[in-house]
Amino acid sequence: MRRAAQAGDQALVDELREELREAQATWEEALVQVAARPQRARDRSARMPAAASGRREAATRAGGRSLLPLREQVHHALTLLTVPAAPRLIVAVHQAFFGAVIPNSRLTSLRRDEERSFRSAPFARPYYLCPALTADRLGPSRGLLSISTWPIAERIVGPLSPRVHFLTAAIKVAEAIARTPEPRPEALRLLARFAANIPGGADGSGPGTVIEAARAELAIHEEADRITREEAGKRAGRLTDVQRLFGVRFEVVSVVEDAG
Amino acid sequence: MTNDVQERLRRIRGGGEPKRHNARTIAALTTNPGCSRRAVLDAAGVDKAKLARHIGFPSQFGQSQFALIRGYQFEAQVKADGCAELITLLRAHLGLTLPEVSYEDLNDVAGNDDNRLRHRETKNKLGRRDDPGTLFDHPMLTLNVAGQDVFLEPDLIAFQVKGKFHIVEIKSFAVIDGQADGAKVAAAAIQSAVYVLALRNLLVEKGFSPDDVSHNVILVTPKDFSNQPMVTFVDVRRQLTVLQRQLSRLTRIEDLLELVPERVSLSLDADPGEVAFDLGSIEPRYMPECLNTCELARFCRHEAQGSTYAMGRTVMEDLGGVDTVAAVLDLARGTREPAPDQVEVAALLRLAWSLREESLGTAA
Repeated sequence: MRRAAQAGDQALVDELREELREAQATWEEALVQVAARPQRARDRSARMPAAASGRREAATRAGGRSLLPLREQVHHALTLLTVPAAPRLIVAVHQAFFGAVIPNSRLTSLRRDEERSFRSAPFARPYYLCPALTADRLGPSRGLLSISTWPIAERIVGPLSPRVHFLTAAIKVAEAIARTPEPRPEALRLLARFAANIPGGADGSGPGTVIEAARAELAIHEEADRITREEAGKRAGRLTDVQRLFGVRFEVVSVVEDAG
Repeated sequence: MTNDVQERLRRIRGGGEPKRHNARTIAALTTNPGCSRRAVLDAAGVDKAKLARHIGFPSQFGQSQFALIRGYQFEAQVKADGCAELITLLRAHLGLTLPEVSYEDLNDVAGNDDNRLRHRETKNKLGRRDDPGTLFDHPMLTLNVAGQDVFLEPDLIAFQVKGKFHIVEIKSFAVIDGQADGAKVAAAAIQSAVYVLALRNLLVEKGFSPDDVSHNVILVTPKDFSNQPMVTFVDVRRQLTVLQRQLSRLTRIEDLLELVPERVSLSLDADPGEVAFDLGSIEPRYMPECLNTCELARFCRHEAQGSTYAMGRTVMEDLGGVDTVAAVLDLARGTREPAPDQVEVAALLRLAWSLREESLGTAA
């Protein structure tokens, strides 16, 4: 960290500091596990002051599950959703099903960190969190995250995709709730939010209605959306690795013909 | 606009680059269309806030940080998940059909947010006839104000249904029991009118008719005390007329400049007293409403002390033809002979005065 600070690389300093913090958290967590049986660990978490970090609390609540770095948590949420998603939704899904709170602010730097990591050592990690790509220019879409191991067509966003993603996410969330014996209140709230914005989704109660309603609307958009995405996916074959993962950037800033 | 006029405006500005307009400042133009001072200063692109500070009447307004955050959060909520909440509302109120969910993000072009680039992209995407699209997030529009093109970035969505475009304005002030703060609705309406006009210009260039942009603006606001969004339609035809008149006035700035003495310069390097004197030679029309919209309002109010128009439009209209408060009092007391056009007002004033005398006695 000191070396990075001397070199003036603030981003690297932040990254290292984050890693250090995670290592410390893991260490503390390991201590808790060693020192206490799961039951006592739970009691302790209940006595912990409210200011205790959400992650630690969540990990203890989950029965001492090992602490995950941020990117893993995002990976979990995205894998559940199966479609590119905005940080807002990722945070909500993670909280609903894994109980941990991801601070929104940490997500903003994530994408940049991933890109830097890939550029310095390509494919060193099993997967990267990268932006979804816009169908027209294959540029990075604003604020939508996806996983690099998904087929390229799944990572592309066309004009209809936001709705298709919304409906697919609704189905996945509903299915996950149907699988869970005792869903958390956050999960039910998330489902209600989806249900309210799908025609017929709020008619009945329970995940079944939402799945049915979402499938009905999805059938209307799916085909057209798939064609756009697959067509764009073919074009993406010509891109470099970095471009395919992180999008083609339009770097022209200086002279652009006036809005003619 | 001729070079001659440009040169004069530059001198009034005291050199330097003209200050850029935005939708708020353009909307503010319409609150007091009769004010030549504002028209001249805006055409010249004078930084009125700095000018007001320079001559000792600093303006005291701006947007509250809390209001900005609240507005931003509400907008993010309505637009989350591919505009899910907005689509639900539009389906319920505008008969949007199920397949119409296309959404184009115009916030940047492949990671680049250059204004000109975005404007061109906006034009291409909105002007498509084969596949018109439905929702357009943050289109970049332009409007010609006093000879310069101003970029306008509406915090909103342009929305197309059945071949007609609408402006969707998302505002965070609450509508409680169907009632909203009138001033806020009026401000939203005039701002939307700016966007309607800019969108019309853009589409006309692409061969559409101006009527393809609806004069009914869709206002999305929180309902009652909740965060649940609701839709209201606002007809902005009147605001459009006022706006067009005011904008054409700015482009015909030559006529206004004829009334301004040749030597006037409002350079911030000059002596404040001289600047204030020069400013005084451009005719103002102060109204109490100016305090909400114009940075120079405090100066104009100070200058307008003792005149009837400082008391607002209603008072001024009631006292038609009498300019100063002193004259009003003299007419009421009968110590001054009314001019032929003041006879009617004078009679009313004398009646009011005698009623006051009767009810309060001579002590008053």
